[in-house]
Amino acid sequence: MTAPQSVPNVMRPRRLLAGDSMILTTLRLMLVYLVALLFQLTFFAEVRVAGVAPELPALVAVLAAVFAGARNGSLIAFLAGLMWDVYLSTPLGLSAIAFALVAHALGVVTEDLVHSTRLRVVVLAFLGTAAMVTAYALLGTVVGGRVLIDDRLLTVVLVASALNALLSVVVAPAMRWAVRSEPMPRKARRREPAERARNRR
Amino acid sequence: MAVVPRGGRSRYGLLLLILTAVTLLTLDFRGFGPLETAQSQVRDVLEPVVSAVDTVLGPVAEVWTVMFSYNDLRDENARLQDEVDRLRSADIRSAAQADAFDRLLSATGVTYVEGIERLTATVLRGSVGNFDDDLVAIDVGHRDGVAPGMAVVTAAGLVGRVETADAVSSTVTTVSDPSLVIGVRLLDSGDVGLGHGMAGDPTRFVVDGGLRWPETGDLSELPAVGSPVVTAAGSRYPADIPVGRVVSVEAAEADLAQVVTVELAADTEDLGYVTVLLQPPAEEAPVGPDSPFAEESP
Repeated sequence: MTAPQSVPNVMRPRRLLAGDSMILTTLRLMLVYLVALLFQLTFFAEVRVAGVAPELPALVAVLAAVFAGARNGSLIAFLAGLMWDVYLSTPLGLSAIAFALVAHALGVVTEDLVHSTRLRVVVLAFLGTAAMVTAYALLGTVVGGRVLIDDRLLTVVLVASALNALLSVVVAPAMRWAVRSEPMPRKARRREPAERARNRR
Repeated sequence: MAVVPRGGRSRYGLLLLILTAVTLLTLDFRGFGPLETAQSQVRDVLEPVVSAVDTVLGPVAEVWTVMFSYNDLRDENARLQDEVDRLRSADIRSAAQADAFDRLLSATGVTYVEGIERLTATVLRGSVGNFDDDLVAIDVGHRDGVAPGMAVVTAAGLVGRVETADAVSSTVTTVSDPSLVIGVRLLDSGDVGLGHGMAGDPTRFVVDGGLRWPETGDLSELPAVGSPVVTAAGSRYPADIPVGRVVSVEAAEADLAQVVTVELAADTEDLGYVTVLLQPPAEEAPVGPDSPFAEESP
């Protein structure tokens, strides 16, 4: 009988909290989100393209879904939206529900992806942000008592999504570090001979 | 053996999150005090950090703004130069109009925010989201005596109302917000009506509630183009704050009502400093037979 070999990780790993305490992961997530929120509240209040700012809280929510899966991703997205709601004029919970719904759907759809390549993350950031901003505008109009669906919505969705897709190149590594979703390939390779030797014994 | 469907736990989790969000939304709609206090405290805790980061990143953002708005600034400069030339030529006429306006105000016993304590504030930043174009943050809060509902003005006129008041900062909904309804008086005709901002145009204000079209058909009863519009005495805000000047008057509802378009006096797009009128806001504008607002509270 052959000894169990280390199997290459074919399914995309969802290792939130793996090998790490929940407190550390929470602190890392809080740090990444706080930096994103501060940039949104300060820098991107001024720096806009066609009058539209990126939606960094939504980007964090999208990346959480991509790297942490549907269950954990939707929880992180919910909290990210809830914090963002504190600064918006719409009722508390509106962004939270929009972010959580889209993050869950995104998490389920991307569950079986073998690799999360940079290009795929960029595309997912674009699509996820577009869905979140649209969902927010729809919910805000239906239950939030605000008219958020107007001629400008398409511009906001496209520009904010494009900006988020660009910024995902920078934010994705931070989120990957925060949720520790990917195994470290180099360490894994280094461990392999030792594991093989142990298995032979 | 019972089989747990794939994703079942995540669906339950999502359901729980939705229920939580719905609960929060319901509480927010009902104006649940502790929820508003909690939000205010979160903003208060983060405000020093936000201000510090703003100070650091501000110059970088300025560079971006200058780089990408050079053409706009050049156009605006040309436009302002034209306006200065026009104003120089119309100096005498403007003086006469100002005199007439002053006399009209004194004739109706009106003064602009006299006897109300004021507080000058700096505008910290504009909107932070993509759907809050009509919100600005200012650097005074409830520690300075600011409360939600207070009127915010500039020397030009009404800017908006305080939406939320945190400890050291507040948010202001500007008068250009279409959802902010304000009771106004048209000084030329003496009519009182309800108005709001115009979606997509932050320089315009529409008075489309409570103004009847003259039954006699006498168009001289309509407010003249260029005549002033001020806040009404029965509204939630102090009376006689300049709102703007009439741009056009149109008939609506089968010639039964007037729709008056007003050019806002205050530029809500480019605010540096504002003044908060520290008059405790009325909870509800008086409604009833003695009120000019018989149908809807402004």
